[in-house]
Amino acid sequence: MAFTEPVLLKRIPQDPSKRKVFWYDDYVATGGYSALKKATTMTGDDITKVVTDSGLRGRGGAGFSTGQKWAFIPKERKGPHYLAVNADESEPGTFKDRYLIDYDPHQLLEGIAITAIATQCDIAYIYIRGEYHRQAKVLERAIAEAYAHEIFGRQGIFGSNTKLECYVHRGAGAYICGEETGLLESLEGKRGWPRNKPPFPAIAGAFGRPTVINNVETLCCVPHLIERGPAWFKTMGTPKSAGPKLYGMSGHVNRPGVYEDELGITLQYSIENLAGGMKGGKYKAAICGGISMGVLGPNELEVKLDFDDVRFRGGCLGLGTAGMIVLNEHTNMVAALRNCVRFYAHESCGQCTHCREGSAWMHKILSRILDGGGRASDLDMLLELEKTQGIMPGTTICGFADGTAWATRTFINKFYEEFAALCPEEPRVQLTIRRGTQNVAVPMGSNTR
Amino acid sequence: MAWPAEDRRATAVPKDGEPPLLTDEMKKELTEKYFPRYPTRRAVLLPALHMLQHHHGWIPMRALAEVGEFLGISPAEVLDTASFYEEYWLKPKGKYLIQVCRSLACEIYGSKRVTEQIKKKLNVECGETTRDGKFTLVELECLGSCGTAPAMLINDVLFEDLTPQKINQVLDGLPEDAHKFRDPTVDWQ
Repeated sequence: MAFTEPVLLKRIPQDPSKRKVFWYDDYVATGGYSALKKATTMTGDDITKVVTDSGLRGRGGAGFSTGQKWAFIPKERKGPHYLAVNADESEPGTFKDRYLIDYDPHQLLEGIAITAIATQCDIAYIYIRGEYHRQAKVLERAIAEAYAHEIFGRQGIFGSNTKLECYVHRGAGAYICGEETGLLESLEGKRGWPRNKPPFPAIAGAFGRPTVINNVETLCCVPHLIERGPAWFKTMGTPKSAGPKLYGMSGHVNRPGVYEDELGITLQYSIENLAGGMKGGKYKAAICGGISMGVLGPNELEVKLDFDDVRFRGGCLGLGTAGMIVLNEHTNMVAALRNCVRFYAHESCGQCTHCREGSAWMHKILSRILDGGGRASDLDMLLELEKTQGIMPGTTICGFADGTAWATRTFINKFYEEFAALCPEEPRVQLTIRRGTQNVAVPMGSNTR
Repeated sequence: MAWPAEDRRATAVPKDGEPPLLTDEMKKELTEKYFPRYPTRRAVLLPALHMLQHHHGWIPMRALAEVGEFLGISPAEVLDTASFYEEYWLKPKGKYLIQVCRSLACEIYGSKRVTEQIKKKLNVECGETTRDGKFTLVELECLGSCGTAPAMLINDVLFEDLTPQKINQVLDGLPEDAHKFRDPTVDWQ
């Protein structure tokens, strides 16, 4: 295990004042597009094999093997194949893709071109969220440069047989479009409602054709892999989670920002060494990979941040995007959960009942608890609601509701005392209502009719 | 986002005989630039709606019907898509749309105080537009600047690491014509 120099952030210094956008000339001058030149001499299967051997796992949250995903694309071509780049980064706590696009757009474009050779894609759509105005403009200019330098366009990538078109497709402010099939629906000009699977996107994706969907950071890893090989890649990280990873550190830390290190560093290390230590108080909790993955508690500073340890030892859903919100001892965990659940209640696409209604109920219950109307049965109700949500109990189409469930579950289980203190047997706040001619005291939140 | 619940019948649809909202120039740009990108016409819907919103500030009902006609889909399907996305405004908004991030990282850095300050300064509530039609204030979920919280987005431009002084400075410094308001870090256009 050794992480010696920045890989993905090679061209993005930590000091914000020294950062600048690397356009085509600067990118090539710093060794850019040499991996793509190498890839044009390789066959698609060779590239896929390199990626599979490296053990690269998707950086968008699910951690699925990228090489395997590419191998699902049918070899036989009966029509166009598409590549959808997921730049719909809307998970609270996650802001790594933004940095990559902001300062080093060509790294992404090079990854896209190599992926297209491996999977025989004809068109790449970069689905970028609507709020990323600057990033969309950066990409537009970078793509125009790439067309001018014969990377994209009809002449084929550097004159080779693979012809690739690349376009930016702007979303319009819907978190659910980051779910891969929701993204495809949105790309087709419909509401971003996730589809039932199967068929999987590798068989019938965008416009009914085989489609590869990869996260920005995953694709940015690809050029480095081709250039330096799977063995180099595996020197970083843990056996099952290889490679470098961007950690988005935010919350109560001294130096919030995006940091690069290998997979499998401990939470303690990431707070102390990357983010410069805690701010305003001692460590209490950390959301480890965007709020959907749940929260790590006070005793879990030694948990390794890789795709498996967070799940098995940390009790979270997974590493997610490694966008970490670190919370100090003065944080009100009930209010923090309310904020998370409000996000889900607001962003639920409304297709599945358990998710749409469940998240809204949870938000209402948590708001009432914070207003002083908590009851002992509320916690049971919240835990019951979260058990019915998601693809794991099998009640929803996509994994969005699992995010709601895991956030709620881990917050309540790991900070039970804090929640229980606000949920006594007898509600603290009583409302006085007039029933007939008498004034009656009723618990807040009960049916007052 | 849940189902739209407001009363659509109350939306005023401009009368016939007025110039089209989806102008010939827009149609030309859509035809030349966007149709070749996608295998279906419907896929151009999102870019078309973005374009309409950019020109008119919001998307009136009549524009939805015109887009449907242009793309060969029913107005109901256009509304179905347009109403799903938060960024499309189907009712008028101010020249400057102020969107304050309210997600967890921003909340612990005081996004509520940011909203309160803007509310007080502009004398509006969240979701409201000032009387002169210059500002609309809303809160939204994560803007992707958790490391530089709190943050707000004014039209196309992101402002990070907000302080009370910075908010005042930004709001006071906005030009009268919203189209002249550009992102200073986008220096190549």
